[in-house]
Amino acid sequence: MRPFVALAAALVSLPLAAASISVRVQDARGGAVREAVVYAVPEGRQLPLAKKTAVMDQKNRMFIPHVLPIQTGTSVRFPNSDDIRHHVYSFSPAKQFQLPLYKGTPANPLVFPKAGVVTLGCNIHDQMNAFIVVVDTPYFEKAADGKATLSGLDAGRYTVRVWYPDMRDEPQPQSISVSGDERVTMSFVAGRGTLPAPAADHAHGHP
Amino acid sequence: MAIRSFQARLLYLLIAVLVLLEAGTLISLHVAGQRTLRRSIADELHVGGRILDRILDTRARQLSDFLRVLALDFAFREAIASGDLPTITSALTNSRTRIDADAVVLIGLDRNVTADTLGGRLVGRSFPWASLMNVAEERGEGTGTVSFQGRPYQFVIVPVLGPRPIAWVCAGFEIDDRVLADVRHLTSLEVSIWSTTAGGIPQLMSTLPPEERGDLVASMSGMTTRPGRSVETTMPLANATYATLLQTLRTADGTNVNTLLQRSLEEARKPFATLELQIFALSALLLLIAVAAAVTFSRTVTRPLRVLGEGAGRIERGDYVTPIVVKQQDEIGQLATAFNQMQSGIAAREEQIRFQASHDALTGLPNRSLFIDRLSQSIASAKRYGPAVGMIMMDVDRFKDINDTLGHHFGDQLLIEIGRRLQQTIRASDTVARLGGDEFAVKFTADDAAHAGHVAHRVSTAFDAPFVLGDVSIDVNASLGIALFPDHADDADTLMKRADIAMYDAKKNHSEIAIYEPGRDEHSVRRLSLMMELRQAIARDELELYFQPKIDVATERVVHAEALVRWNHARHGVMRPDEFIPLAEQSGKISLVTKWVIRNAIQQCAAWQRDGIDLTIAVNLSALDLFDSELPTFISGLLSDAGLPPGKLMLEITESAIMKDAAYAQRILAEMKRRGICLAIDDFGTGYSSLAHLKRLPVDELKIDKSFVLNLSESATDDLVIVRSTIELGHNMGLVVIAEGVETSESWAILKRLGCDMAQGYYMSPPLPAAKFGEWLANSRWGTA
Repeated sequence: MRPFVALAAALVSLPLAAASISVRVQDARGGAVREAVVYAVPEGRQLPLAKKTAVMDQKNRMFIPHVLPIQTGTSVRFPNSDDIRHHVYSFSPAKQFQLPLYKGTPANPLVFPKAGVVTLGCNIHDQMNAFIVVVDTPYFEKAADGKATLSGLDAGRYTVRVWYPDMRDEPQPQSISVSGDERVTMSFVAGRGTLPAPAADHAHGHP
Repeated sequence: MAIRSFQARLLYLLIAVLVLLEAGTLISLHVAGQRTLRRSIADELHVGGRILDRILDTRARQLSDFLRVLALDFAFREAIASGDLPTITSALTNSRTRIDADAVVLIGLDRNVTADTLGGRLVGRSFPWASLMNVAEERGEGTGTVSFQGRPYQFVIVPVLGPRPIAWVCAGFEIDDRVLADVRHLTSLEVSIWSTTAGGIPQLMSTLPPEERGDLVASMSGMTTRPGRSVETTMPLANATYATLLQTLRTADGTNVNTLLQRSLEEARKPFATLELQIFALSALLLLIAVAAAVTFSRTVTRPLRVLGEGAGRIERGDYVTPIVVKQQDEIGQLATAFNQMQSGIAAREEQIRFQASHDALTGLPNRSLFIDRLSQSIASAKRYGPAVGMIMMDVDRFKDINDTLGHHFGDQLLIEIGRRLQQTIRASDTVARLGGDEFAVKFTADDAAHAGHVAHRVSTAFDAPFVLGDVSIDVNASLGIALFPDHADDADTLMKRADIAMYDAKKNHSEIAIYEPGRDEHSVRRLSLMMELRQAIARDELELYFQPKIDVATERVVHAEALVRWNHARHGVMRPDEFIPLAEQSGKISLVTKWVIRNAIQQCAAWQRDGIDLTIAVNLSALDLFDSELPTFISGLLSDAGLPPGKLMLEITESAIMKDAAYAQRILAEMKRRGICLAIDDFGTGYSSLAHLKRLPVDELKIDKSFVLNLSESATDDLVIVRSTIELGHNMGLVVIAEGVETSESWAILKRLGCDMAQGYYMSPPLPAAKFGEWLANSRWGTA
């Protein structure tokens, strides 16, 4: 089934200089889609790469957080907080790497210069998985209860997109222009189809 | 014969029952066996079907597990993630080898085939088995049976995880001979499998032997059913008939994969057949044993029956000695005991009957027939070995009188006692027998006549002592006649006749013992012929009346004449009454003689009356005449015909004749008396009449027996006393007393002195023919004139 995208934007004037976009991500039945990442990519402009550092911890044989949105160019550290070894890998085209069996924190963080979803796994523990969502914008937010607000946006045109785990088809991106302290609200409806979950997921679900 | 058939019947029955039982058992066993076999084959097939399903299922799961492990191999995943087709293809090929699959296919998440081990045949195309893919996407993995290149395959699809699915990897495993061999190993069923593809020639895989497989290929087109269903049939193939279960598997591509599970009926029946053969053999053995037991049993039952039968046969033949030996204690044994008791009972009774047949019931002595037997035996024995055999015939003198006087009971007791005494006089080897009535006989071995006489004397001592029976003591005499073998006869019959003759001689001669005198037989022959001639003699008037006068003692004149009969025989001359009257009595002709005498006496009397001679005629009656109730009428008729008053006839009856049947005699005599006929008691003093009896008799005259008178003299006091008291007795009873046998003047004088009324005898006149009597009357001093 083709994903159905509804746009319900309401323009609201705000006294502040920076604009914000409130996004709701629902499934077909109106329920919140968990761990959805909402991000707005400026159209026609190339923003400088981020110089930030993020952390993907491994604790109790789980990656924490399960979903980590970062801007391209961000360095991610992979500390191992468990007293057992892990073998972190990714076969994702955006960033293929592996950190063979290690303990503690590797000396160098990994830089993610290319946008895309990097699926992480542990070769020792099949049930461990996590996603690093690399986006070409500093405006991104991981939704809680299906709601996220992107704020501090400069005026301009943006393409607002959504990603969530096991997504089959991306909901239709929405293009929008914002100015001043405008507050924009929009909604995405996630398609019903999801990718088959790995068998190991049945035992250890999302955090 | 009957026993044998009874045994056979018993045996046949037992065997028939056994055979029926065994046949029934075997048949029901066979039927039950076949039913069980069919059911167990059906069960086997269905179980086999489930096992086949389970094996395929299990195999799919195993394959799935293998494939899943493979898909998690990091290197494999790295290779897949490399995106380099040759690398990927070689990784798939390696994996195929590793898990022993027939084909491995890598499918993108978009369902397009990325790589395969089939030479890239499927690459770039959508994965052909969409339904299988659907299952995989839905459940995270998929398994199913498909028909691929005309062969049945099991396909397994699992995701390649990175760790999220990055692709699908599919492995295909042909359902091949090894699978079938597994099923066959587990189920002992023949397994065949083939897929039906439109147009294509089905490829059969089977555990059947080649020939059967060929037959199956020929007949399997169109053989299918709906998935999940099964069809049970019986299918004849090359060498055997198979119970068959057809199942069709669901496939992921809409084609049918058919499985056939088969069991050779011959094979399945083999253990049953063996079992049945064993049971049959066992049954046959049991039957043999049972038949042997039945034979033994029937023999056991019938042997004592045969023994009983033989025993009964022995009893029939008269063997009362050999007992029936049956050891059993049961009914047969009881029967045998009963048989033995019956045997001894029959023996005892037969002995008793034989004894009774051969012995006299009264005395217990051998009877006539046994005596004759023994006599014959002794004679036969003496003919060979000697010595002589003697026999004595004897009878008791005047036994009839004793019997009449003292009663039959007394007579019987007397005979018993006589028998007992005789028994004591002889040796054990001799025989005493009672021949009948008062007749006894003794058989003995004797050397000669003298010895025989000696034996006879010893026998006669039995009569020496008086017989005391109850209150009565009586002297009994017997007459003994002796005859000897071989002196007098050659056989028992003749010997007995001659002993009999000798006995009569003894009686006649008033001697106790007489030995047979050769030639005496003629006498008895004469007696026999006389009896024959008597009737003719009467018809021819050969009889003649003689008359003897009876003299009135007081007047010394004749008053009566006694008529005495004589037989003027052509050869033997004049015969006196005592020579032929007993013969007439014995032969039943006495009545003729009596009537002839009475008729002629009356005629003579009437003739004398006409001549002026007035005499009363006396006639003797025999004892037998007293039983002729017609006689009084007959006499009356004669008297009236002759014109004589009845008082002119006097009938003389002996005392013993009256006593024979006193009551009847009395009635006849009373009738005679009523008709006016005079009556006299003859031979008075020799019988045993009581005075009371005498008193009742309607007689007129008493005639003293001549034995008292013949030797009457003054010196013979006994006779004198008897005569005198008899005369007094008669007078006291109002009777006329007459004495006969008066032969001397002395006796005449005595009688006259004693007051006797009348006298008769040779002193006056012997009996004379009628004409001579007339002359005597005219000339004698006793004459009427």
